[in-house]
Amino acid sequence: MELEEVVSPQQIMKTAQGHALGNGGEHTVYPETEDEIARILTYASENGKSVSIIGGGTKRGFGGTKDSDDILLSLEKFAGVIEHVPGDMTVTVKPGTVMKDIQEFLAGHNQMISLDPEWPEYATIGGIVASNSSGPKRLKYGSARDHVIGMRVVYPDGRITRTGGKVVKNVAGYDMNKLFVGSMGTLGVISEITLKLRPLPKQEKLVLLSFSKENWEKLRPFTVSFLDSTIEPVSLELMNPALSKKLADIESYTLAVAFEDVESAVAFQENWLVENKPSEMNMTVMEKEEAVSFWKRFTELSPKDPSSSSDIRASVKTGSKNMDVFHLMVEADRLHHESGAAVYGHGGLGHGVAKMYIEGPEDKVITAVKSIRAKAEELGGYAVITHLPLAVRRQISVWGNQPSYFFLLSGIKKQADPEKILNTGRFVGGI
Amino acid sequence: MQLMRRKKKVSANQDHHIEAFFKIVGEKEVLFEDVDMLSYNCDGFTIHQHSPKAVVFPKNTREVAALVKYCAQNDLPFLARGAGTGLSGGATPLNNEVIISLVKMKGLLSVDYENRKAVVQPGYVNLHLTNSISSKGYYYAPDPSSQYVCTIGGNVAENAGGAHCLKYGVTTNHILGLEVVMPNGDIISIGEDGVPDSPGYDLLGLLTGSEGTLGVVTEITVRILKNPEMKQTVLAYFDQVEDGSRAVSDIISAGIVPAALEMMDQTAIEGVEEGSFPVGHPRDIAALLLIEVDGIAAGIDEQIEEILAVCRNNHVKEVKVAEDDAERGRWWANRKTGFGAMGAISPDYLVQDGVIPRSRLPEVLEQINEISRKYELRIANIFHAGDGNLHPLILFDSRNPGETQKAVDAGSACLKACSDAGGSITGEHGVGIEKIEEMRFIFSDEEIEAQTRIREVFNPGNLLNQGKLFPMPGRCLEVKKAVQ
Ligand SMILES: Cc1cc2nc3c(=O)[nH]c(=O)nc-3n(C[C@H](O)[C@H](O)[C@H](O)COP(=O)(O)OP(=O)(O)OC[C@H]3O[C@@H](n4cnc5c(N)ncnc54)[C@H](O)[C@@H]3O)c2cc1C
Repeated sequence: MELEEVVSPQQIMKTAQGHALGNGGEHTVYPETEDEIARILTYASENGKSVSIIGGGTKRGFGGTKDSDDILLSLEKFAGVIEHVPGDMTVTVKPGTVMKDIQEFLAGHNQMISLDPEWPEYATIGGIVASNSSGPKRLKYGSARDHVIGMRVVYPDGRITRTGGKVVKNVAGYDMNKLFVGSMGTLGVISEITLKLRPLPKQEKLVLLSFSKENWEKLRPFTVSFLDSTIEPVSLELMNPALSKKLADIESYTLAVAFEDVESAVAFQENWLVENKPSEMNMTVMEKEEAVSFWKRFTELSPKDPSSSSDIRASVKTGSKNMDVFHLMVEADRLHHESGAAVYGHGGLGHGVAKMYIEGPEDKVITAVKSIRAKAEELGGYAVITHLPLAVRRQISVWGNQPSYFFLLSGIKKQADPEKILNTGRFVGGI
Repeated sequence: MQLMRRKKKVSANQDHHIEAFFKIVGEKEVLFEDVDMLSYNCDGFTIHQHSPKAVVFPKNTREVAALVKYCAQNDLPFLARGAGTGLSGGATPLNNEVIISLVKMKGLLSVDYENRKAVVQPGYVNLHLTNSISSKGYYYAPDPSSQYVCTIGGNVAENAGGAHCLKYGVTTNHILGLEVVMPNGDIISIGEDGVPDSPGYDLLGLLTGSEGTLGVVTEITVRILKNPEMKQTVLAYFDQVEDGSRAVSDIISAGIVPAALEMMDQTAIEGVEEGSFPVGHPRDIAALLLIEVDGIAAGIDEQIEEILAVCRNNHVKEVKVAEDDAERGRWWANRKTGFGAMGAISPDYLVQDGVIPRSRLPEVLEQINEISRKYELRIANIFHAGDGNLHPLILFDSRNPGETQKAVDAGSACLKACSDAGGSITGEHGVGIEKIEEMRFIFSDEEIEAQTRIREVFNPGNLLNQGKLFPMPGRCLEVKKAVQ
């Protein structure tokens, strides 16, 4: 049987080879229904074809050591809101729906998915969920895993399974949602996602806080006392001076503190900062529109396309103890000045996830990435490389060391995808 | 004297397994006589009772690992147990299990305020954590009504919820790390030091809520939160259940995220007023709502005003705001002891735990009324209205022949009504043995099999907590297998 017998020939495109980020396919196939996804996967598993999955392509440089699989399954055309029940505060969407489209639709009902992942104008909800993306507002709202309440998933052999449900609280059976969130498409193709929603905040503000360059070390004790107060920031994101300079023209370590609440509560918290911050601390307040545009630029920091110059770009996500983000930003600053590559970084002092974007000649970028990983590991954390050109990914481990419980990860993969046809090699330990 | 008796019995039985347990945990930490083990025959779901082979009390992870390894090597079924407050039979030894009780591993190992986490042993009681850190202004958010006795290990196994999970999420949203003894005795550690998003599949998420079938949890790193600056609590009485339900929807649609949004119906109110913590709720109302808002003080009044307005728009009969912490405390004690209070108006009761999309509240409550009429049993409703998590309490008298079964059937009918409304058969109490058959209301055989395949990865011999959660494959699957 040929692929053309599985879906209509208009849905198949022969693909140009040699994409600098890899993770391509000989043929790109655009399913428009779940049934088509199932038929394509059945065809692939019966014919020993490997499949790579793509949504908006913003994470094409994340994981994987292959130039190309047999089939590139694009979910781009499998998009749209299936069901929104405002009273239940849940939405069910197709995986190829672009985040921004969902948010705009929900905003019409004064609701939102409280997630702030990278590139909302391009990233699809399927990709966001498959990579468990999150942004600075994770501090208050959590990551994708905290929002997904149900899914439909097509297993590599074409079987379809439902996980979770459409209700916000549910402990029936294992929490299988968690298995697929963050699985990087290695267990199945997510064909439908139900998420829980929150009301749009009535007011939002962004406050940037920094000390002069010489006094930056005062930021840590300030953060500790701020965290210990009853103020409820939605983000408490530390930027290294390079990033702060780029985004806000402040060349010093800067805290991006967001407030989202009813108007009086936001006003109170802003005021609290005015009254309680050390006098030598600089404070810039951004109102609604300005705050929104700041965060928009924030989501666009991570490289998504191949570099057009001879320099290469990388991005790294680290996980550490919350306050160790300070050490990681200091390392980012050091590397920015010493490594020969530009290093921009930010991380959440209340949640422990940091991101660093690196740009420069290949060898310098590799050195910087390795230094960041060494630092993270020294602190008891880890570093995952979330963007690199294919050629460089082949030289350096994207996921770092295998965990001691790797046998469980490989066991789970084997149960779901015994023939190893889906996104092979894209995940921890070559899964 | 007692020790000697034990010794004698053991040698008489020639039970070398008991001797082996003595060696691992010490003689004092093993129960093996039926009379000593009576209270381990079941958990809070008392309808099914079975006797364990032994109950052992390890004091540390090493002993747990040694016990598990011994059971695995000797083909002995075993299970973990916390406080035994589970309501679905999760800790009931269906197969004469060796019960590994974690109650002696009850330490608070560390608190790290800067990084907002605490490390506890599995037997540590939920409320003790909040009590230990409240002087510094912190608390642990998941607050099951049983929090003064249930263990955090049990909470992880059941993915426990509570009244305040509407705003703050359930147990799974607060677990940063776990140390687990695998069913073969190996020890693994996930999310060490509370580092978020460990690379790999989300095993923390999978283990949380796995009802003790994937491993024995021996250490837990949890997120702790700063106390909100202020709380306000509203109590609203309604003459019509529908008005109360509509008020729930309207509060949510107004864009308010209450910390808690609880409802009780007339029968439930009768129970709590006869129970140990009456607060003087009128008996002639159809429903009450208990609504709490917390957060930045400056923003609270505005939200309370809006809630009061919503209640008035929905024909509230009386509505009041708690005067002070003492009054709020009384209202909550009355609510949180609600299940037990049913004992004051009925010899027996069965707690159910369905979930529905919250917009379907009025119709499902009406269906539960019908079920009550059909089975001729009173049903009280106390529930987390904000997230659609119903707790129909089926009142019955086990002394009447056949009435226990009738109560079980009525409970199952309630769960059917929930799943038919697009909901689930359990929101926080778990499947255990109680809801095994009801799993079929929401999952196909294939979907159940997808889950048991995951169990095989962790628990291939299925010696750990066997016979829980999943029904045997249905006929059609058996036929399929026979054909192959
Ligand atoms: C009056 C009352 C009110 C309740 N209210 C609520 C409520 O509001 N919300 C809610 O969610 N629940 C509630 N419950 C149910 C119950 O309290 C919870 O399920 C609780 O999490 C169980 O904890 P436990 O320590 O008693 O566990 P147990 O009952 O001892 O065990 C429960 C399950 O967990 C497993 N287990 C226990 N410890 C471990 C471990 N260390 N490792 C692996 N598996 C383990 C057991 O094998 C069993 O399957 C209530 C119960 C009662 C009696």
